[in-house]
Amino acid sequence: MIAVELRKMFRRPRTWATIAVLNALPVLVAVLLVVTDLAPRPGEGPPFLSAVLSNGALYPLAALAIVLPLFLPIAVAVIAGDSVAGEAQAGTLRYLLARPAGRTRLLVAKLIAVLAFVLVTVLVVAGVGYVVGATLFEAQPAVGTSVSGTSLTAQELGVRTLLAIGYVAVSMLGVAAFALFFSTLTDSPLGATMGALAVLVTSSLLFTLDAASPIAPYLPTRYWLAFVDFFRDPILWRDITRGLALQGVYVGVLLAAAWANFTTKDVTS
Amino acid sequence: MTAVITTRGLVKRFGRLRAVDGIDLDVRTGDIYGFLGANGSGKTTTVRMLLGLVLPTSGEIELLGGRMPRAGRRVLPRVGALIEGPAHYGHLSGRENLALLDAAGPGGSWRTRRRRIDEVLEQVGLAGVGRRPVKAYSLGMRQRLGLAGALLRRPELLVLDEPTNGLDPQGITEVRELLLDLHRGGTTVFLSSHLLAEVEQLCSRVGVLDRGRLVLQDELATLTAPTGATVVHTPTPDRVRATLDGRVTAVDGQRVVVLGADPAEVNARLVSAGIAVNGLALERPTLEEVVLAATGTSTDRVDARP
Amino acid sequence: MLVSTPPLIGALPASDAEVPAADLRRAVLASADVGFSGYAESAGGLLLPVTDQLTSIADLFSDRTEMRVWWRSPTDHRVDVITAAGETSTHRDECGTWIWEYERATATRAESTPFALPAPSDLLPASLGRRLLSEATDDELSRIGARNVSGFNALGLRLVPDEAASSVGRVDVWVDPRSGLPLQVQVYEKGVDRPALDTRFLDFEVGRPSADVTAFTPPPAARIREAREAEIVLEAGRRIDPVPLPAELAGLPRLQIEGVPSAIGLYGRGVTLLAVTPVPQRLARGLRNAMAQSLDAVRDAAGTRLAAGPVGLMLVEPPGRGSYVLTGTVTLDALATAGAQLPGGSS
Repeated sequence: MIAVELRKMFRRPRTWATIAVLNALPVLVAVLLVVTDLAPRPGEGPPFLSAVLSNGALYPLAALAIVLPLFLPIAVAVIAGDSVAGEAQAGTLRYLLARPAGRTRLLVAKLIAVLAFVLVTVLVVAGVGYVVGATLFEAQPAVGTSVSGTSLTAQELGVRTLLAIGYVAVSMLGVAAFALFFSTLTDSPLGATMGALAVLVTSSLLFTLDAASPIAPYLPTRYWLAFVDFFRDPILWRDITRGLALQGVYVGVLLAAAWANFTTKDVTS
Repeated sequence: MTAVITTRGLVKRFGRLRAVDGIDLDVRTGDIYGFLGANGSGKTTTVRMLLGLVLPTSGEIELLGGRMPRAGRRVLPRVGALIEGPAHYGHLSGRENLALLDAAGPGGSWRTRRRRIDEVLEQVGLAGVGRRPVKAYSLGMRQRLGLAGALLRRPELLVLDEPTNGLDPQGITEVRELLLDLHRGGTTVFLSSHLLAEVEQLCSRVGVLDRGRLVLQDELATLTAPTGATVVHTPTPDRVRATLDGRVTAVDGQRVVVLGADPAEVNARLVSAGIAVNGLALERPTLEEVVLAATGTSTDRVDARP
Repeated sequence: MLVSTPPLIGALPASDAEVPAADLRRAVLASADVGFSGYAESAGGLLLPVTDQLTSIADLFSDRTEMRVWWRSPTDHRVDVITAAGETSTHRDECGTWIWEYERATATRAESTPFALPAPSDLLPASLGRRLLSEATDDELSRIGARNVSGFNALGLRLVPDEAASSVGRVDVWVDPRSGLPLQVQVYEKGVDRPALDTRFLDFEVGRPSADVTAFTPPPAARIREAREAEIVLEAGRRIDPVPLPAELAGLPRLQIEGVPSAIGLYGRGVTLLAVTPVPQRLARGLRNAMAQSLDAVRDAAGTRLAAGPVGLMLVEPPGRGSYVLTGTVTLDALATAGAQLPGGSS
């Protein structure tokens, strides 16, 4: 079942088109940076971007930071929102369930396929970022500077980059859980995607609002940028652990809700 | 004969609407069961309940000896289904669609998958379709592919919802031949349709659904059994009435209905009176007449309330 | 489950110990050498009237600042101001400070001077509480129960300044009785019930951190520069023609601080402070225009004055003489009184 869902996901041209579009932005930014040699002013622009001109080895992170606020969540919401509602809209859901695929199994398989998409997407963005950084910028893989101004060995930098990639993937899992939950509620994949994006936009908006500060620690996007904390020295675990726990709770609750809804739902599509 | 589909007091309510209102289906091994009903009569909801897609509000469903929806994992692999038109992944080929569907559930060994797919494609007449993606298929080809998906595991029971939809006359004949062929091989067929002619030509048993209720369920032969009257075709209907005084119940042009279940006796009387007889047959009701008598007005007709 | 812990910990009841206010203050003042590390957040709206070159200091006192701290001693500690995409780390050693700004990839060296500009460490509850309590008298202090600050039982100490001129209504300091370190400091303006400045530890751990953490060596790719901000201020002070300033203004005595140019007068005690300096005409004009744009500014014969929270600012322009700027944690009325007592004032 899981293999079937993975095959469906990765044999779909749209999946790769989404990943390609996602990579276009960081590549464009890199080319513009090289052509104009204008780094963003300190404190502005995505994290790590201003540091890239001096060390191209940071470009995988800059690329993630570029796509993290908008493009990556949109891509994840599109794919996860499509997972159940897309099958419902195409009518294939009724054949899968009458096969019988088993509703719980199908949901788990969908989740794992979405998870695989998140991981592949994040890794591809980081990988393309690495290639772009190495070819367009002066890469200094031997030395890395932490955000706190200490030196990091290439090995430390590599480990921390992997941790950060993992953290971004977990953050996206929360988006996927929202979209998957909405996907079981509606037969319209667009509706499910929009629902998940509405949650994210609301969350980002509330985060900037002082009046919403009492609920700020529970907003799903609250700790997204904490992946930067892996590059402070020593690593600042405070927001990272909170971010992981928060995503864990969201994923758990939403998947339970998705499961409860999907297993008792009348499939009339 | 053992029961293949049995429902008892099956009810499905959507809000205040009772889509299916207490039906007791009885489909037995070896039947070609015609499930007749107009659009909106609750046919599709019933089919979906049989397959575990829609959960009944109350009542019981037994499918191949298992209680649905609980036994779905055990019994559904032995059922082939075509539900409200075919549905496929448009970017994949027909062969890949079948392989994915087969791999998505239990009871379809991957060792035999290739061979089974070749066989069913041959059976439905898509053997030469190649690697074309399904989105390039015609409606008829998709219907055939849907049927192929239903046949993939040599099911004991076929549940088919409007299987000839979108097919041309030759296609319809082919599908009919295929179903009769499968039936001879021991497959029970549950055919849901709104086409009287299709059911009349194919089915051995008929159930008629009207506004969520099963108003009729019987052998087709019993439903269309002789009425005890004889139909006489004659150029001189008036003389028939004069000769068989009191036994003529209806005259319609040259068609005269005469009481009496023995056409030979009627014929002898008419011939002895020198009346020309062009044709003579036992009167049987058509399925259409039976269905119309059992159901009321059309379900999509909306009359003004007094 | 982890997510629900912050409010849970905050809701835990705190137990009040019978520690007299004076003893608690002594404990706080003796805590400068206690090592600790933690994560602190300060929120406040203390807007300082500053020039462009000093905007980062203004940032420090307005808005919300998140800080990571490792404290070994007053001359060996590190404070990182955390921002979403970078950080500014201040490493203090025996001779001065290194300031590392990640986004500029710049390391700035500043030698320590007697006259130091506000630094992030000043906002730490531990440092701020210690400084505000340092000159308090026992009469001004009272105990106000206990509360839970990031899982620690903290005893409350309230400072109500004696000076009538003070704009600070009260300062509440919440102290960890075992280490004597203030864990939360809240500064209230007179007559206002919301703290103008609220700084507290969110994570806190007593214990000397390792010297590796506080030490700093500029990374190879960094730009290195010398700090000039303190010099700018001192140089400006030295250039001003000294004006004899009174020994007392608005009832506040003048302070003698080594290294401060004689043209700058500092008055007051503890939390109540008033700074006076003559300003050249050009600067006075700019300041007057800036203040005129504020709706809250009061303008009369005494001069133009403005309050931002507990911090007051006044521009005095006596006819035919140089102008003065007065600023500090004093009321507007006290500013007017002080302005009138200056040489050439309207008294």
